[in-house]
Amino acid sequence: MEAIALDRLSFSYDGETPVLKDISLSIPQGSYTAIVGHNGSGKSTLAKLIIGLLEAGSGTIQVLGTPLTDETLSEVRDHVGIVFQNPDNQFIGSTVADDIAFGLENHCVPTEQMQSIIEESAAKVGMSAYLDAEPTNLSGGQKQRVAIAGILAMAPDIIIFDESTSMLDPQGKASVNAQIRRLNEEKNITILSITHDMEEAAQAEQVIVLDKGSIAAVGKPEEVFLNDQLMNRLRLELPFALKAARAFNQAGLNLPPVLTTEDLVEELCPSK
Amino acid sequence: MSIKINDLEYTYSPGTPFEHKALKGINLEIPEGKVTAIIGQTGSGKSTLVQHLNALLKPTYGSIEIEGFHITPDTKLKDAKMLRKKVGLVFQFPEYQLFEETIAKDIAFGPKNFGVSEEETEKRIREVLPLVGLDESYLERSPFELSGGQKRRVAIAGILVQDPDILVLDEPAAGLDPQSAKEMMSLFMRLNKEAGKTILLVSHDMEHVLEYCDEVIVMADGQVKSQMPVHEFFKHPEILREININPPGIVKLKEMLRNKGFQINPDTYSLDELAREVERQVNGHE
Repeated sequence: MEAIALDRLSFSYDGETPVLKDISLSIPQGSYTAIVGHNGSGKSTLAKLIIGLLEAGSGTIQVLGTPLTDETLSEVRDHVGIVFQNPDNQFIGSTVADDIAFGLENHCVPTEQMQSIIEESAAKVGMSAYLDAEPTNLSGGQKQRVAIAGILAMAPDIIIFDESTSMLDPQGKASVNAQIRRLNEEKNITILSITHDMEEAAQAEQVIVLDKGSIAAVGKPEEVFLNDQLMNRLRLELPFALKAARAFNQAGLNLPPVLTTEDLVEELCPSK
Repeated sequence: MSIKINDLEYTYSPGTPFEHKALKGINLEIPEGKVTAIIGQTGSGKSTLVQHLNALLKPTYGSIEIEGFHITPDTKLKDAKMLRKKVGLVFQFPEYQLFEETIAKDIAFGPKNFGVSEEETEKRIREVLPLVGLDESYLERSPFELSGGQKRRVAIAGILVQDPDILVLDEPAAGLDPQSAKEMMSLFMRLNKEAGKTILLVSHDMEHVLEYCDEVIVMADGQVKSQMPVHEFFKHPEILREININPPGIVKLKEMLRNKGFQINPDTYSLDELAREVERQVNGHE
């Protein structure tokens, strides 16, 4: 079964200018997909449609085989969590524990079960020591991890990250990205990550490139990033290792495409 | 005139249980007309330091000489008010500080506070708008209908309209997409190269530091760990490792190649040059 299946999905905010045009794609369960593209390409709108914050103009959305409609909205939301860009805009509780509990309370989870769920969720993101802390006193990276814990408490199958690391410092970025990979690898949660960070996108199994509301490319990172014509036309940044490999090949070497600096050096060394 | 910082110490909430010594004896000379990066982990004291440069904070101990002002623990902040005209401080995510109903009013807020006449302010706004890549059609619009990148341009225009000699920028490109980040950085480079502004850039982005800055100041635990010209600085990736910051891609690659036995010129910072050096060694021209 597909985690998410979109069929000829279109959307416009004002009924005139299309923001998404005829998007069809499928995201397999347990996969890690990155969506890249410039601001205004429709990435965040797509995320909002999938969790039902916006309603599609035409086309269909299926989440875990269930078509998204007014009737199924709350059922679908039980399976899909989203972490937004600004860590300061998603706190409700006065302590970390209260914040994680928020979704559980809304779902009328009995109090006696709540405590253990809160503790488990905080442990999964390495925030157990902070349950009584005030969210305002946390670093950006810690705040985003608490936001993830709040979603994990609801045991979702799919988590969407909407530029969730773009406002974080490098340590925060690294800790949240490591968390995302662990959730995917160890808990088999389907990850949909909207990102401008090409190094992160290079780690995904599938990359989707959006351009002016349409899908410009879908494929493995190496396939997408090696499409010179596409990358140049959209003026998208390449992961560093690919940029370097290209410079090396222009200088007269013959390296295969690589996505990490480690692989690049590995390719260079047997020949020496 | 350069900026001189002598034995600067700063303590938050002194004499309370929350007392925190954020700066512990800073001595620095920051050159005029250059682009200087201030780097270091979150909590290393970068933001506390830069808030001293326009007297938002004043020293607990030590002094700062900047733009003809001499700021000490005894300076009355009211006397330093004119310093804020000469040193423009752009905070992180400044777009969250817009508040007026139109963009024109938001940009005019600073000059109005300093008693600049309306005609003069209007003239300056028209000069500043194209600098940040906006046009006059924006002036009567609400800042809240703009995209994040556009809002940030408005916030920066509000600083530039005061025509400061020194611009202090705290992570000006954070959270922008790569294209907007590039445009933002080129704007500051133009202000440096063409208008001769001194630029101080607080940044976590080492690619930006390598590409745009002349000098690098490293802060750790409230102290200055090093100050070096940028190309000299990136010959010492161990300093970055100590403060847990990833080096730029090319610095990491050079280091890994050197560990594999390649001869790499320490002054190489262009990928094409590096590629030629490595190609010569792989294909045995040398």
